[in-house]
Amino acid sequence: MRPYQEEYIANLRQVAALVWRGRPDGMGFEEYAAQIRENEARAAQLTRRNMELLRGELFPMLDNLFDAGDGELGELEEFSLKLFNGRTELDVGLFCQIRQALLSVARQKNDRAAMIRELYWLGMGRNNMSSKLVGLELVDVEKFINRMRLCFTEAAAYLKFFDVIKDTETRGYIVRSRANISLGQFKAPHEKIRRVKSTLQILQDKGYQELEPGLPWERFIYLTHQNMASSISYSKERVMTAQDMADIMESVYIVHHRQIREAEEQGKQPPAKTMFSYYAIEYYCGISGLDQLLGQLEELLDAADPEDYSPDGMYAMGSLPAFYSQYLQQYPELVPPRREYLQRLYRRTLDYMDASPWDPGEGKLFLCLRQLAYTFVETEGGIPYGEFLQKLLLRFATEVYFHSQAVGEAAKEFCGVILGEDPEFFDDIDFIRAVRDPGEKRRVVEDYAIGCGIFHDVGKISVIELYSRTARQWFEEEEEMARLHVVAGEALLSPRPSTSRYAPAALGHHAWYDGSRGYPDAYRRLECPARQIVDVIGLMDWLEAATNADRRYDGTGESFEDAVKAAIGLEGKRFSPLLTARLRDAATVERIREAFAQGRGKALQGMYDAACQAPMG
Amino acid sequence: MGQTGREAAGRGKGHLVIELGGDGPRVLFADGAARALTGLTLEQLLAAEPEQAARGLTVEVEELDAGHELWVLDSGGGRQEELTQVNAALEAALREAEEANQAKSRFLSNMSHDIRTPMNAIVGMTGIGLAHIDEKARVQDCLNKIKTASAHLMNLVNDVLDMSRIDSGRMTLSEEELTLPDLIHDVAVMMRPQAAEKGQSLALEIGEILEENLVGDPLRLRQIMVNIINNAVKYTPDGGEIRVSFAQRPGEGGKVWLDFSCRDNGIGMSEEFLGRIFQPFERVRNTTISRIEGTGLGMSIVKRLVDNMGGVISVESAEGKGSLFLVSLPIPVSPQRRRGPALPTGAAVLVAEGRDGPAGRIMEFLRQGGLEPVRMASGLAAVTWLTEAQYEGRMPCALLLGQELADMPVLDVAAHVRQLAGRGFPILLVSEEDWAQVEYRATRAGVNAFVPCPLFRSRLLDTLSALTAGGGEGRQAGSGLEGDFSGHRVLLVEDNELNQEIATELLSMTGVQVEVADDGAQAVELFRNSPEGWYELVFMDIQMPVMDGYEAARRIRSLPRTDAGRVWIVAMTANAFVEDVRRSRQAGMDEHLSKPVDVDRLYEILRRRLAPDAAQG
Repeated sequence: MRPYQEEYIANLRQVAALVWRGRPDGMGFEEYAAQIRENEARAAQLTRRNMELLRGELFPMLDNLFDAGDGELGELEEFSLKLFNGRTELDVGLFCQIRQALLSVARQKNDRAAMIRELYWLGMGRNNMSSKLVGLELVDVEKFINRMRLCFTEAAAYLKFFDVIKDTETRGYIVRSRANISLGQFKAPHEKIRRVKSTLQILQDKGYQELEPGLPWERFIYLTHQNMASSISYSKERVMTAQDMADIMESVYIVHHRQIREAEEQGKQPPAKTMFSYYAIEYYCGISGLDQLLGQLEELLDAADPEDYSPDGMYAMGSLPAFYSQYLQQYPELVPPRREYLQRLYRRTLDYMDASPWDPGEGKLFLCLRQLAYTFVETEGGIPYGEFLQKLLLRFATEVYFHSQAVGEAAKEFCGVILGEDPEFFDDIDFIRAVRDPGEKRRVVEDYAIGCGIFHDVGKISVIELYSRTARQWFEEEEEMARLHVVAGEALLSPRPSTSRYAPAALGHHAWYDGSRGYPDAYRRLECPARQIVDVIGLMDWLEAATNADRRYDGTGESFEDAVKAAIGLEGKRFSPLLTARLRDAATVERIREAFAQGRGKALQGMYDAACQAPMG
Repeated sequence: MGQTGREAAGRGKGHLVIELGGDGPRVLFADGAARALTGLTLEQLLAAEPEQAARGLTVEVEELDAGHELWVLDSGGGRQEELTQVNAALEAALREAEEANQAKSRFLSNMSHDIRTPMNAIVGMTGIGLAHIDEKARVQDCLNKIKTASAHLMNLVNDVLDMSRIDSGRMTLSEEELTLPDLIHDVAVMMRPQAAEKGQSLALEIGEILEENLVGDPLRLRQIMVNIINNAVKYTPDGGEIRVSFAQRPGEGGKVWLDFSCRDNGIGMSEEFLGRIFQPFERVRNTTISRIEGTGLGMSIVKRLVDNMGGVISVESAEGKGSLFLVSLPIPVSPQRRRGPALPTGAAVLVAEGRDGPAGRIMEFLRQGGLEPVRMASGLAAVTWLTEAQYEGRMPCALLLGQELADMPVLDVAAHVRQLAGRGFPILLVSEEDWAQVEYRATRAGVNAFVPCPLFRSRLLDTLSALTAGGGEGRQAGSGLEGDFSGHRVLLVEDNELNQEIATELLSMTGVQVEVADDGAQAVELFRNSPEGWYELVFMDIQMPVMDGYEAARRIRSLPRTDAGRVWIVAMTANAFVEDVRRSRQAGMDEHLSKPVDVDRLYEILRRRLAPDAAQG
């Protein structure tokens, strides 16, 4: 690798460490806050440096890639494998960018082996990126999945020429690509079953195996069975043929029975993940009923150890409650008899999160708990969904939490200013119009503004890696993915009674006032009764983001005064003139500035308090 | 039916001589006319009472002497009848006049309501807009509504004027060359959005077509079709179905019969209304549809136009079940015979379409054109087939993408195939969508051409012929799709020699004249010293010695000449961050092309900017 590549990777690692909010370890609040600020500044500096490295070294090379020799291309491949190699990942977005460029070169040179290799790796990168888009409808993410699947499909098509293509490595890429076509979501489970089954037939074909004995066929076959068995268990659709069931059960037998048997032979409990997959498949294949499955899940949940922070422990304490909730979400009539159990389960899950050690590896715990955010069932007298979300943000998405708290405080302050001049400003919203008493109305609006602020970016948990792991600006595809946070937020908030009223703010805060730009298309400002508060959140979100040094954007935050001037410049386009008119008042601007600072301060204090109580890692 | 004596007597006068005796009057004499008028023989008359015999006849009595009278019998009864007939005719005329008057009164009442409604909207929305003049989105909303209301008002006025023009005999039909595909496409483009707005399915079917090139009045033909379909859309509830079909039969004297039918499952019409449907100012009223807009002139205009063209129109309908309009028009065939398209006979064409019906139709047309279609129902299957075909050197002459695939959107496949098959491979999209709506996405995905639905063989084969450049036998893909842009001039700004060479070669293959600048400063000088409008496109590298692309673009834009602001500048750089794209735009560049240069994107830009119908500016 070239020195700039080494440096880029070292910087990535350093930035990841700097942005992780560790325990205070005896530090006072001020000292802790100062350290966080210092770390942020250092991370921003490294981000700027990484951008310089890419602009100064990598991009000029990509500029002239057709000119590059084999040595340079090899170095580039090596660099990309440091960024992502299928198991570990540092920067998958940049990896895809490089692999796409290498694929263009391979196509240009008509180098078939290189084409197959690059298609495989580009597919792997895209699979990694699309698999992180969780909690979203297939229609929102299918283009990313299709891009991945088309790469694997093209590489796999060379299977027909397996006997002509001689080198083992290329043959390996072809076979692996064939198996990987079935990665990711499909519109219906039977599509996936059909593909996995056909892959198994190919892998088990003696003709191929004899042609290339150097490939780990048994491993490929086992992984393919695993793919069949694991993914089907979470499917929501129950339309399967007898043949589908037989195919799945075959894989289950090979994968899960073996795992269960191995555990029993060692005198251990089989992993919760294995057991759940096994039970769920039995249910989906019609071997057991839903009551039986829920009973089996309850047994697994009851047996989970609240002090086990191993991957299986996290799965049992975080993921299993999510799957349990998913069934109840699908069949709400099953909730009443399980209400108390559910409440105890959620309380225990939150306690588990609070008691978990703060260490840099806690990403795994977040992935488990995030699943519960999508399936959480709100019950009367139980933990409100909003409370659960806030705890999740505070612990695992601190930057989103700080920003959201600041936006909430500022939105509250700004709404106070507006109500002072126009008490009926928010009266398009039913529950606000219903309040007659001016004092009470002000309180209701301010509470609403805070809630909208706190939850407006909650959808970012669906694409959190783009925010937490990227130490550079985004590429276009990444930005396209990041934009999904608005629909993801709406999907989280709108179905639950305690948070549904905040859903418009999540959906609409990036829409433009004049509708000419912004996103998503699903938000139609003029049809939204809550548009005035959404406008407020959109403006506060923009001001906060513009004034806070952000690692993705060179770390160059604008001054608050400049941001306000820019917002006024976008009057009638990006922002409502009814709002920007109020930014011409210096006192109002000052109040907002203070509210931002206050919001961030409060958020930091909250995190400090939580961190102080956390056990050592 | 036989004539009565009275009828036979016509208007002749009969004479009776009456004796006035003590026993009462009696007939002494009767002439032949009297016999004929009374229908009695002489004997009967002599025996009859005179008054009885003369019943029903006009009798003029002349006194001959004291005991005798002469009765002159007249078919006075005939006169009476005449009077009765005249009266009846007058009554009918009066009724008609009253009915017409009532219809006109109804029309005036409707019209005044119909005119007042959009006028009220215009006045009202203007008021609202003025009251919120600072709120751009609100004003925009008002203007949109005013635009809609104005268009409606314009339709009302046009219909009334049309009707008056037809009634006064001032309408003449033009005789122009027209093509049936264009005519139907225009109708489809106009009507599909209206049906879509009501969630109706509007199916356009093409039956046997004998001649596509006709002579007629396209404006009026379109008016007939649009009025009928518009009626169906109007009187069919949301989500209903409308099926429109077109077919031809042989006619006489160089004409063909064009049969047009429109069937809907809307509210239908009563038998009573069916009798009046083609009368002016009639509209169906139905309680389920509270408000049907229109003048009530549409069908009368259609009837008169069809009559003027020598055609026939009929309608079948049942209340609550729907209506079927049938129109047959004799249309002259154009004497100008079109040449058959030049196609690579025997070449394979890959058809990717998931639906059997449309796929079958496409394949039938391709076979008729001497081509060999191969169909794939899914995107993955299409990519697999193409990859294998490419490896085996048997690429099809084009990919024809339909509207739906089993596994993914067609444009996702197009984007991948463009990469896979290279720049020269023709990709056609056959779609019901309006090209204007999909053009941007489709061309970006690599689609070369669009064939609208309903599909015509000539359209499909002509487009294919144009893309395969007339094709030789079994033409292989990869040659000559670049188009001919001779006479156009572009400025390539690039410091790297190899990149200059590659880009110049790629551009030159299209016939475009390329002038090269080695850096930004040279580019500015070349532009400054060139005549006005000399360059139509500038491809601008970003990282260059002496002066970078951003600065060069800024300087070109600020030159004091009219084409400085207009010339299309494309940034060519590997700097692919979102922020880089923004920076290019801020520097005055119009779009962004990633490096290494994707030749298809390059050609797509050329096609978009330099093709004869490309939008300039």
